[in-house]
Amino acid sequence: MTYRIQHLTVYKYKHPVSFGNHEVCLTPRPGQYRHCLSHELTITPPPASESERTDYFGNRIRLFTIQEPHQELKVDARSTVTIEHEEVVWPTASPPWEEVASSMPRDLNPEVVEAYQFAFDSPRVRTSREFAAYASSSFPPSRPLTEALLDLTARIYKDFRFDSKATNVRTPPEEVLRKRRGVCQDFAHLQIACLRSLQLPARYISGYLRTYPPPGRPRLVGADASHAWVSVYCPGAGWLDVDPTNNVVPSRSHVTLAWGRDYGDVSPVRGVILGGKDHTVEVAVDLEPVE
Amino acid sequence: MIADVLQIPFSDALVYNEMALDGANLRPYWAPFIDSLQALGSEELKRRWQRAERRILENGVTYNVYTDPQGAKRPWSIDPVPLLITPEEWRYIEAGTIQRARLLSMLLEDIYGPRRLIDNGDLPAALLFANPAFLRPLSGIPVPKHAALHLLAVDLARSPDGQWWVLADRTQAPSGAGYALENRILVSDVLPEIFAHSNVLRLASFFRSQREALMSLARSDHPQVVLLTPGPHNETYFEHSYLARYLGFTLVEGADLTVRDRRVFLKTVEGLRPVDVILRRVDDSFCDPLELRGESFLGVAGLVDSIAAGNVAVANSLGSGVIETAAIMPFLPGLSVKLLAEPLKLPSVATWWCGQETALKWVLDHLSGVVVKPAFPRRGMEPIFGAALAKTEQQNVAGKLRARPWEYVAQEQVALSTAPVWDRGQLYSRSLVLRTYVLNTGSGWVTLPGGLVRVAGAEGPVVSMQRGGHSKDAWVLWDGPISTFSMLRPRTQPVELRRGGTDLPSRAADNLFWLGRYAERAQCIARLLRCLISRVRQANRSELACLLRLHQCLSSEHSEDSKSTLPEDRPVTNADLEHELVSLLTDPERRDSLVDTLSELQRVGGKVRERLSTDFSRLIGELAESARTEQYMTFAEYTAVLDGCLELLSAFAGMERENITRGAGWLFMSLGRRLERAMYSVSELRQITAPLGPDDWPLLDYLLEVADSSMTYRSRYFTTLQPVAVLDVLMADGANPRSLDFQLSHLVDIYQKLPRHSPEDLSAIQRALESVRMVDLQTIEFPLPGAKEPPAGSEQRLRLDRVLESIENLLPSWGDNISNTYFAHARTLPIRIGG
Repeated sequence: MTYRIQHLTVYKYKHPVSFGNHEVCLTPRPGQYRHCLSHELTITPPPASESERTDYFGNRIRLFTIQEPHQELKVDARSTVTIEHEEVVWPTASPPWEEVASSMPRDLNPEVVEAYQFAFDSPRVRTSREFAAYASSSFPPSRPLTEALLDLTARIYKDFRFDSKATNVRTPPEEVLRKRRGVCQDFAHLQIACLRSLQLPARYISGYLRTYPPPGRPRLVGADASHAWVSVYCPGAGWLDVDPTNNVVPSRSHVTLAWGRDYGDVSPVRGVILGGKDHTVEVAVDLEPVE
Repeated sequence: MIADVLQIPFSDALVYNEMALDGANLRPYWAPFIDSLQALGSEELKRRWQRAERRILENGVTYNVYTDPQGAKRPWSIDPVPLLITPEEWRYIEAGTIQRARLLSMLLEDIYGPRRLIDNGDLPAALLFANPAFLRPLSGIPVPKHAALHLLAVDLARSPDGQWWVLADRTQAPSGAGYALENRILVSDVLPEIFAHSNVLRLASFFRSQREALMSLARSDHPQVVLLTPGPHNETYFEHSYLARYLGFTLVEGADLTVRDRRVFLKTVEGLRPVDVILRRVDDSFCDPLELRGESFLGVAGLVDSIAAGNVAVANSLGSGVIETAAIMPFLPGLSVKLLAEPLKLPSVATWWCGQETALKWVLDHLSGVVVKPAFPRRGMEPIFGAALAKTEQQNVAGKLRARPWEYVAQEQVALSTAPVWDRGQLYSRSLVLRTYVLNTGSGWVTLPGGLVRVAGAEGPVVSMQRGGHSKDAWVLWDGPISTFSMLRPRTQPVELRRGGTDLPSRAADNLFWLGRYAERAQCIARLLRCLISRVRQANRSELACLLRLHQCLSSEHSEDSKSTLPEDRPVTNADLEHELVSLLTDPERRDSLVDTLSELQRVGGKVRERLSTDFSRLIGELAESARTEQYMTFAEYTAVLDGCLELLSAFAGMERENITRGAGWLFMSLGRRLERAMYSVSELRQITAPLGPDDWPLLDYLLEVADSSMTYRSRYFTTLQPVAVLDVLMADGANPRSLDFQLSHLVDIYQKLPRHSPEDLSAIQRALESVRMVDLQTIEFPLPGAKEPPAGSEQRLRLDRVLESIENLLPSWGDNISNTYFAHARTLPIRIGG
């Protein structure tokens, strides 16, 4: 499966911005069965300086500054990504979830140490008894981790309503838990908070989801959106992805862009600007299957 | 920071007494000191100490206390008896703290580098992953070796058996070394003979080493080093400006810096100047709002990227706070053997990190014998003293520990040693903690001989500057020769040590400009008020009308937020105006009041204190006090208040003229002053030209008085008041320092000297000056009192009024242009978008 992806972000400022320092995280991250065939980033106005680094989590980030006055910033990322595998294979058996939680602190296997850090609080996801309590009915004693994880995913899908008006980009998971509403970012944060409250390592995946037009209608260009889901570490099996917004195990319709502890680690476009005052932002994502 | 809290049971019999062997007999090394103190006599010491306390106030040595609204600018508290330390003891402490610094520095290098200690299990991974001070964006970014832990502070306490223990490490941006230096200067000043005879190790060479170490972090030959401060609200701001001045570095706030092309620049009035090294006093997670995502803008966006590009060095390195946690202490003995192949010389106070199962179990079993603290800095959690807990509270705490054990440490309580504290002729015994400093020079480690001693307040054994503790000097009594190098003595100073620190940051220029403006504005307001207040009660109807016109000068354009109390629906009475004048003098809610203007003066003065002499800062403080009036003051007393205030303002102006180097800073200050006086001058002159009626002639007298020009006028024209002659004195006479001509020609002069000045703005002010000089006053005539016909020449008067009006319109926008050219880029607040 190959996708041509366009991710266009346009900031419009009420007053001229004299100077902007920006960081973007828009380069699709390659994986075992996922290849980024091409990637091109076009920034208008053209940046005065640019650099590229691999961040702590292994994502490619681009940093740039715009040093001329401007009232519009356009970040246009175009990528081509191929996903090889047909079906995601989950392990048939997995260890009881408490065993995973309790064995990790002592395990010096580098992969486990690497995963262990996702079991702790992060700036936007704080663990608490409330999250543990919500998760508990999915996590009875000795239940295999994979089973419990799928159950929790299904429950979030069932208990929470997709509502793009209910929350914003900074809504904390505690509020989402109270309101029972939100968008993919909120559900991902919520599920991560639940898992970490049980001391299980979970990370936030930023990416894209292919959407299908209603039967008989043409595919609408730009109607897709950034998506977010969750990945959990299961010793022996590695990282397992779940999508609480759609209650699915991500496979060929999900394209991973980057991962981190929470949204703050991987927000696609961010910056610190001088001037501007009020601004609006428009994001258009297009995922076009090319074969 | 100094704000930590250390508490111990307070019982003299159970603690180590620094001065006395068994509570009665002096330790031998204290005897000479105490003998000399006794020889000096209590009265003499009191007399000398009063002088020192005055110096503390005058120098503005302060420590801001957050919790107390009156606490900002709290005077630094210190006593004249130093803690004495023997050579043997100091050698022990020095070796121990240097070893600790070497070890911690290696840990830091590993944590942000290969992370072998985690992989090998020498350090538990959770110590990093659960620690908010572990700054992931810095991981893998190489920094110069001696930048990482440039300065380490180690808090030491002495237990009853005489052993020194480490209570805490400060690895972020350790504070207090500047206060230690000021303490030394104060105490050696009060006890010069005793100090000279005691062969005390000096502090200056430590700071010279720090200076050199910071300079050596730069790649360029003429490095620009800046000291980054969170600003005047920080608890130790005094120290930031003190050290910046002492080390010769420019004191900057985040808004003074910008990152372009992956380089850090200082915004100066001359343009952008590259910055090579940042000595930071801002917590690291606040240093880059772009990559570190702190919620504040105390730092500069893009800093991490310019570090990654190798274009700037930051000391201590960003992320160095990760090893500040006490949770690391239990691992140090093992790590010392492993990494340094030697046992740890200076023990830490017994510490258990609950993230380890065995430690957690031990702590739960011995809860009543330990203090439980957060392992990682967390707001709102106070140390829990196990011994003070009731049974149910113990269970509650135990529950918390079991739920998230890695977030807690438990420590043994150390019974702090005591030292004598002198207070108004008496010596008292107080608990103490010694903060020592170790510096990485790049070619070795050096210590500050002695350090900052903090002692508990009288009420108990809590040692905390935030909670009203005091400080002391520490004297290392040496047994060898002593270097008497002094940073304060320029003739022993190699010239290259004084480089840098000369650039004027735009923000400082902005504040100096406004310092000049507010000082002059205060003077103009005070002069107008004094003239009005002395006359308002006795004024007849036509005089009242004149006073009201004069009053308009107080609420002219540059004080647009005027909240006049005058009635609009009926004629104004003398009492109305009187009420309004008192309000203009005393109402802190009015932007155009004298008291508000003076507090603005104090506000901007506080922001540039490192650029002002101590006399200047003191004067500003006195000024702010001078206009605060008491509630039941008689009306007549207001004149005395204004007299006092005007006297101080003259002293201010005199100091500005005589005591400030004519650098860029002075230019901006003078420009502010001239601009402000020109604005008042024009608005006062327009009271004559627009138009002066036959009944308005008393106004001429008032205006001469306000402009301090009555004498000049009388010496020329005797007592005949003629509008044209008054105009000549107040407007056209270039020799009168209060004339409009004088202000404008000085504005031209000063503006020309500014770097990057704009030709348009220069010619605008030149044209204004010419237009004043073109006026032929001889052709202007005013109606005489009692005359009915408008005299010939009123057209000329109208023309003059238009000239003045256009200058009146020009000046505010001309001032704005200066702001836009020189200060705007330092003023705009950054905004965060996305993420």
